[in-house]
Amino acid sequence: MAKTVTIVVDDIEYEVPAGMNLVDVCKQYAGVDIPVFCYHPKLGHDGNCRMCLVELATPRKNPHTGEMELAWFPTLQTACTQKTSEGMTVRTKSQKVIDGRREILEFLLSSHPLDCPICDKGGECPLQELTLRHGPGTSRMYWEEKMHLGKHVPLGELIYLDQERCILCARCIRFQDNIADDPVLAFDQRGRHQQIITASSPGFNSIFSGDTTDICPVGALTSADFRFNARPWEMVQVATICSHCPVGCNMSFDTRTDREAGGRTTIKRIMPRQNERVNEIWICDKGRFAHHHMEHPERLTKPLIRRNGRLVEAGWEEALREVTAQLQHAGENVAAIAGGRLPNEDLFALQKLIRAQGSHHIDAYPPVRGGEFTASVGVGVGTNLADMGSGDAIVVIAGDLHEEAPLWWLRVKAAAERGAMLITIGGRETRLDKFATHSLRYDYTEEVATLNALLGCMKLTGLPRSVDGLKEAVKGARAFKPDKAIKDAAEALAGANNVIALVGHEGLDGQGSHNLAQAVANLLMATGHFGRPNNGLIVVWPTANGQGASDIGVRPDYRPGYQRIPVPGMGYTDILAALADNTLRALYVVGADPLFDDPAAEQALRSTLGTIIVQDMFLTATAEVADVVLPSQSAAEREGTYTSGERRVQRFYPAIEPCGQSQPDWLIIQTIGKRLGHGNPSPSAAAVLLEIAKTVPQYAGITYQTLAEVEPQIPDVGGEDLYYGGTAFRNRHGLGVQWPAAAESGGALSAHPVEAAESIEPEEDMLLVVPITLLYDAEPVFHKTSLLHGRVPGPDILMHPEDARYLDIADGDVVRLSIDGKDITVVVRFDEQAPEGAALLPRRMQVQGAPMAATFATLVRWDVEALER
Amino acid sequence: MFEPVLTRNIHRPYSEKITTYLEHGGYNAVRKAFAGTPEEIIDMVKRSGLRGRGGAGFPAGTKWGFMPKDQDIPKIVAVNTDEGEPGTFKDREIVERDPHQIIEGVIIAAYAIGAGRAYVYIRGEFFLGVKRWIKAIADAYEHGFLGKNILGSGMNLDMSVHRGAGAYICGEETAMLESLEGKRGNPRLKPPYPAQVGLFGLPTLVHNIETLACIPHIIERGPEWFAGIGTEESKGPKIFSVSGHVNRPGNYELPLGISLREIIDEHAGGVRDGKRLKAVIPGGASTPILPANRVDVPMAFETLNAAGSQLGTGAVIVMDETTCMVEIARRLAKFFAHESCGRCTPCRIGSVRLYELLDRIEHGKGKPGDIETILETANGIDGLTFCPMGAALANPARSAIEHFREEFEFHIEHKGCLVKAVYSS
Ligand SMILES: Cc1cc2nc3c(=O)[nH]c(=O)nc-3n(C[C@H](O)[C@H](O)[C@H](O)COP(=O)(O)O)c2cc1C
Ligand code: SF4
Ligand code: SF4
Ligand code: FES
Repeated sequence: MAKTVTIVVDDIEYEVPAGMNLVDVCKQYAGVDIPVFCYHPKLGHDGNCRMCLVELATPRKNPHTGEMELAWFPTLQTACTQKTSEGMTVRTKSQKVIDGRREILEFLLSSHPLDCPICDKGGECPLQELTLRHGPGTSRMYWEEKMHLGKHVPLGELIYLDQERCILCARCIRFQDNIADDPVLAFDQRGRHQQIITASSPGFNSIFSGDTTDICPVGALTSADFRFNARPWEMVQVATICSHCPVGCNMSFDTRTDREAGGRTTIKRIMPRQNERVNEIWICDKGRFAHHHMEHPERLTKPLIRRNGRLVEAGWEEALREVTAQLQHAGENVAAIAGGRLPNEDLFALQKLIRAQGSHHIDAYPPVRGGEFTASVGVGVGTNLADMGSGDAIVVIAGDLHEEAPLWWLRVKAAAERGAMLITIGGRETRLDKFATHSLRYDYTEEVATLNALLGCMKLTGLPRSVDGLKEAVKGARAFKPDKAIKDAAEALAGANNVIALVGHEGLDGQGSHNLAQAVANLLMATGHFGRPNNGLIVVWPTANGQGASDIGVRPDYRPGYQRIPVPGMGYTDILAALADNTLRALYVVGADPLFDDPAAEQALRSTLGTIIVQDMFLTATAEVADVVLPSQSAAEREGTYTSGERRVQRFYPAIEPCGQSQPDWLIIQTIGKRLGHGNPSPSAAAVLLEIAKTVPQYAGITYQTLAEVEPQIPDVGGEDLYYGGTAFRNRHGLGVQWPAAAESGGALSAHPVEAAESIEPEEDMLLVVPITLLYDAEPVFHKTSLLHGRVPGPDILMHPEDARYLDIADGDVVRLSIDGKDITVVVRFDEQAPEGAALLPRRMQVQGAPMAATFATLVRWDVEALER
Repeated sequence: MFEPVLTRNIHRPYSEKITTYLEHGGYNAVRKAFAGTPEEIIDMVKRSGLRGRGGAGFPAGTKWGFMPKDQDIPKIVAVNTDEGEPGTFKDREIVERDPHQIIEGVIIAAYAIGAGRAYVYIRGEFFLGVKRWIKAIADAYEHGFLGKNILGSGMNLDMSVHRGAGAYICGEETAMLESLEGKRGNPRLKPPYPAQVGLFGLPTLVHNIETLACIPHIIERGPEWFAGIGTEESKGPKIFSVSGHVNRPGNYELPLGISLREIIDEHAGGVRDGKRLKAVIPGGASTPILPANRVDVPMAFETLNAAGSQLGTGAVIVMDETTCMVEIARRLAKFFAHESCGRCTPCRIGSVRLYELLDRIEHGKGKPGDIETILETANGIDGLTFCPMGAALANPARSAIEHFREEFEFHIEHKGCLVKAVYSS
């Protein structure tokens, strides 16, 4: 228990933690709201706005009498810069305090445009709110002496600055500097001419830029997406979960019926919803802005059936009849590929249908493995990255969190700044390395070897008895030779209290990701870091619900709840092969678009004689080759659940009316199931989850009710608490439920030695091409948000200048690479951060034929023009 | 008869040269200091009663005592040559004419607190000062007073000069440290004080150069000599920069405690053109204006406080009967509004508001009630700001109204100047 002290707030004594911020303490313990503008519990104090003035006294020894007495500061003091100490006494309601606050507000208002009637912040504005409570009714200053400044100053294409409204509290600058580590905002000029500017090119270059609009205590920062779009009080907040990455940020769709949309309810903006264990009060710009696919005019509104080689609109009855007939015909020769962004309910329905047909040929797309290890030694229930600090360690492997799971990046970085050891293990430098205590570099294909070497050189005093096969696993690992860096990291890791490992899949195929996750799990098991909070494994899935897909058995080797199938079905790669040689009669693709980014799918899907059924929101590349296309609903139109990478099952709610005749995926699937004789559809998504909870032991007890439970979030920055967050909304619709891993529920645990991948020696003139993931890419769903197009790089391949020089390639050259006999054309960009010996190829950039996993390519030729240049 | 010490050399030819300085006993104090322990030096400074000459008057010895004693922590001396306070031009004269005196003080201070690095911060407009600083430091290196193993004592001290870009607030010690670090010159939150966390996070002793110039003399002549000069709470010699409506403006080194009237009448040659004295700003632009009937006040920290003003930097600005106090308040307000760093609300906005109100009155646009608004605004700034600049900027207008309210009222009522009216009639 932390040390406590007694303080006096407005004549009442309170026992409070020592050294705590006085504003927070007054709020939390005394229920006294001290008004603030520049202070924010997530940003700390800066003392610039002077709004939080109080009368303050601390006990002091009288130099003359030697007695302790209360010494009052002669002037008002800022509460936000005070830390609680024994005997600290404050007055927050005295006339002097009231006068001081009124002065500050008058100054602020005397240079404020007072354009509340057209201000985005109006209605949830701390300046409005505090003016009503503490401000003067009228100003003594002359109106005509108001300063007039820029009203629509773009800081970048996403965020606009209204210079007149800005109160120069520096919250935005401090957020960018200290939280996002993108110091792209700054003050320009001095005194009364001081202004916020962006110091980056392109402007406001940060993937967290939208968060500044929430914490800005006035309407100075507005987003291009929302500005002048709706008033806060007109909107209905609908709780949702971000569907872009495995972090599972809690958010709200703020909706309103719109005349322009013909009276339909539309999504006006996305706001973070506070969940201190998941995203605190932040979301990344992708989550905030990339929602436009949901209301996009290209959405499918009706089923399509291929007639005479062309897809034509059809009625549901016709389409369902067609699908049913095809699936009946296919019998057990059916396979399914499901997008990892599908909710649990849909995934469950799909695997149930396929298995009811007698097939286990089902996989998630993209196929990444490791779920079975999270099921056994995943992070313990109650884990919170915010608890990680000095004495703890976080290991991040084979991925770039900044691009793949921005909020994890943010929170891991913060943990490192609090003193947690950060060990990054990867083939290249990423933005996390700056904060790492240990950076281990491997040559791609040596992922497992590196992890084994790390485990192999750990000094282990006794292995946990609860795990089978650990001895063998460790013995196997001892065969790998560690270098000095690995040994140092091992030594550091050995001393850690808590260890969380985040394992990615950069450069790996399904099997590779499985092996790496196993190697990481072995390490955690051997060192005893599992089965309790803040210890264990997290898989950095490529999609929002990769975890759920694995839990629910959308994979060929496990039934729901990780019940191993003795004779597994075909996984993604085998399904493609079987399609190509026509041993499969039907493929059911739901919410996935392999044709868009997997060259291997190309031949299989185009040539197969089997039926292809695609269920999606859009006419995707895959849908274009389908025989039947069924229109499904977006996450905004229905309810459902996702399971985050931390195994937190989280619920989202319907926000807008369905698009056209689209239906929820689970319902379409179950309707087809009924026609195939597999039983009646569930009455609701909630009922599907009930069935999941019955089938998947790990999800036992999880219902829509338990998922909707909330508890107060500290610090209190949401709800009516406009002093702080302005608009970071209180979480009223559920914090989700984290399911216990086997290590916590007494299940069996086992370790297995992992063989290192064979390292392939490149032939002369061959180039290792490693696909990497960027946050902003050309993926269809994301690309429907044109607002972010400017941030999507072109079809570039990133190369270390040394490599390029060796190959005689210049920056900007257009080159052609041959991969597995297919050619791709890309522009070479020099990148000092790229590893030597490997070229980085961002995935999902509409580069036809870009590989899914690291592979070797031959340089076919240099572009003629580039050569001539 | 008072014997000047700080300015004793400045009238000699080539007074800025190290040879001149050495010829007249320069750098003897360093040798003497090295013979004692650092604790003894700190004790001497404490006993001398020396208080900071940069404006705040904080006891120097006490500040030295705050520096951490741990020898393993690198420490820094930061030398404040920003001299931005209007009316003040004493530092400039010392730097330009006797820079070695300061270097000697810096060496002794560094020795006492265990600093190995000294940074000079000088305002950018002091072109000659910058040159003199650089030359003096180079010569001191050459003569073995700076660098490694100074005079065989084993002490190392490196010293360099950094030019400011001309912001008044950069004279405030923490803003100066920010500026020295290459950042925006904005004040820092205190505590921690520079003695704990200063330049580049290291404990830093910040001094005005006049304070540092006193050090060699205290060492050489003894703290008792120093404490023998001045008043109960204000010891030693002080350079008073006298400007305005006097016959002989300039710097005058005199004992603290001397009466303001004596400075004006005896030393500065009295009010020019036989005019009557109207008001005096006794300690630089940020100190409250005193009316003529208070000029018998002794120039010392405690006595000026009692008289309703401050000693500040000891810059005496003299105004005769032809001076319009509205215009004085307006000009000073303009200065402070221009110099606000912009960090905190009351100063950033309040300073401009104050200026605008004064400007209205000065230009005949004032309205009844504006005087009250000025006073309220000044009170709404003073005490609410992040740094002491708030008090500074409230002082001129507040004191001008306190003592010369009728001029403001006349301006508002008659849309013109009372002083002008009197003198043109
Ligand atoms: C607004 C402001 C401006 C200041 N300007 C100067 C200055 O130009 N020169 C200076 O020596 N001290 C200046 N000071 C005082 C310094 O903050 C600091 O007190 C002084 O340098 C400490 O040295 P001392 O103890 O030798 O006086 C200023 C203070 C304030 C609040
Ligand atoms: S833009 Fe907003 S957050 Fe940034 S300084 Fe201005 S008021 Fe504060
Ligand atoms: S009072 Fe505030 S705005 Fe003025 S100089 Fe000090 S910190 Fe800057
Ligand atoms: S100064 Fe305390 S909240 Fe701004």
